[in-house]
Amino acid sequence: MVVGLVLADSSVVVLALPEIYRELDVSVTAVTWVLVAFNLVLAISALPAASCARRFGPARVAVAGVALFGIASLACGLAGSIGLLLAARCVQAIGGAAAVCAALELLPSVVGDERRAARVWAGAGALGAALGPGVGGLLTELISWQSIFLVQVPAAIVCAAVLAPAAVAERGRARVAAEVRAAGHPHVAANAALALISAALAAALFLVVLLLIEGWRLTPIAAAAAVTALPIAALAAAPLARRVESTRARAASGAILIAGGLAGLALLPDASIALTLPPQALAGAGLALTLSALTEAALAGRSPQAIHGGWTIASRHAGVVAGLLVLTPVFTADLETERANAEQSGIAALLDSGVDPSSKLDLAQRIADRIEAEGDKVPIVGPAFEPLPEDPAEREATIALRTSIESEIDRAATHAFSSSFLIAAGFALAALLPIALSRRREIEL
Amino acid sequence: MRRGEAKPNRAAVEAPAVSPRVLIAASTAISVALVVVYLAAGGRGYEPTPVADPCAPRAWTAPEDLEETAQQFLLSALDGAACDLGVSRETLAAALPSEETRAEFAAERGIDEVRLEQAVRAGVLRAIDDAVAADALSPLIAEGLRPLAERLPVDEAVALIDDAGSFFDDAGGVIDDLGGLLDQAGDLLP
Repeated sequence: MVVGLVLADSSVVVLALPEIYRELDVSVTAVTWVLVAFNLVLAISALPAASCARRFGPARVAVAGVALFGIASLACGLAGSIGLLLAARCVQAIGGAAAVCAALELLPSVVGDERRAARVWAGAGALGAALGPGVGGLLTELISWQSIFLVQVPAAIVCAAVLAPAAVAERGRARVAAEVRAAGHPHVAANAALALISAALAAALFLVVLLLIEGWRLTPIAAAAAVTALPIAALAAAPLARRVESTRARAASGAILIAGGLAGLALLPDASIALTLPPQALAGAGLALTLSALTEAALAGRSPQAIHGGWTIASRHAGVVAGLLVLTPVFTADLETERANAEQSGIAALLDSGVDPSSKLDLAQRIADRIEAEGDKVPIVGPAFEPLPEDPAEREATIALRTSIESEIDRAATHAFSSSFLIAAGFALAALLPIALSRRREIEL
Repeated sequence: MRRGEAKPNRAAVEAPAVSPRVLIAASTAISVALVVVYLAAGGRGYEPTPVADPCAPRAWTAPEDLEETAQQFLLSALDGAACDLGVSRETLAAALPSEETRAEFAAERGIDEVRLEQAVRAGVLRAIDDAVAADALSPLIAEGLRPLAERLPVDEAVALIDDAGSFFDDAGGVIDDLGGLLDQAGDLLP
């Protein structure tokens, strides 16, 4: 639960970003940092947090981490400015890193052995990441963006209460520093592949949401419903993952499926939610296969588990940050280009239409005004056509024109995300390289 | 089961194991199939609706229809003005309607209002020429209109472009009147 709760936080806020953007009146770049800051701090603090778990005892560090995560979640929910929100997100990530790394150290005593613990830990993380956007969208639409953070407070309290007896029992049994230093080198290939896959998944999880909300102007709840395809596919593929012993095969096939899904999203034939479902399903199945396989491989036969678990967390979230930092400027630039193209195409469609010529210049100006008023967003041009003409024939021609322009804008917005999805597919394919190059005995369990 | 002992993997026991090669082959086949199907359905085929070259000649259609004539007159005038300024007719169409948008457009392009006025007049002249070429306007009326168009204030020129339907409606009447006068004059001649 702790792992799922914390790792869901890396993606849970994505559907709330437009809402935060409007409410806190900040720039797009600043609001992106709500996402980037959490993942960046999580990546940076994972290894020190894992060392703390070894040094002071995993249960105590887990309780402290969950408590800090809960307090920071409360601060996020109450933040009235972007500065406070970003600061609270950083603290949340530090607490989260401590809780997640310590949880890996605690799990073997709960589930039986280290191998099973690694599998449960990796699975919980993958599920949390997959479910995050949908849950966040639902809460944003039904309550508010603040509720995303506030609901984590009681969840953190429950986790801390469950772990508290183990923390009390642990006093005086902390490891010595020498043991921490003898952790050994991390599994380079598996961690490199994890970073690349996570960069690709950043696109699958975040760009799909942005396409649905910012591109196609869906409500957060509708977008949340649309993106459930990914976690459903991940859950459906989990039993298949258990039927394949080879972690290398699971990792490779998962990377191929994620690449295929992202390529499908880059090649969407039309602006249709239904068409996003098969690519999302592929990416979800790939996520279930590859994230758990690579995490298990990175942890297999390595001790202490918390330190190597820290490496996987650092790799995953560094990958997410790299993915976001590479892809955000690409799609924002493409969106700007396509927005300009859509404006010209929309007015071209108006000029060549059968609408009353005496209203064309006025309509052209209203369309241009709508586009300008929306700033760097994909415009909603529908209101430019209000009020509709009373003459039935003229009204019909105007509605047909409006539909045609809206369709043009939808297709332009869809196309604006194409390059980013293709680059992300490239990240997933690039992960095949460390998977293939790693020595068979090294990556197999 | 004792604490610390590994639990058997129930799914692995109950379901047959999947060969690594089969898994990789199936993943590749599904991924390639999705990409092929989406490409075949038109994925990656999006191109924005092309914006016409305003300097290219525009062939008028159905010049006998008053509304169609008004449409063509508007497009020809926009083409002429846009070509003169070196912008697309779409950009100009959004800039012309009000004094404020015209001033904004002129500032963005680094031109003054006189230059914009000249361009709009050039557009009206081209529309008159195109209308004459399409037999939608009498050459005689056009001759009378050209000097007028060359002196039209920008507001009037835009109004003329915008409401070309009324203009052609009236012009038809003018043509009839002029035609009648010419007939009468012809009868009086020896």
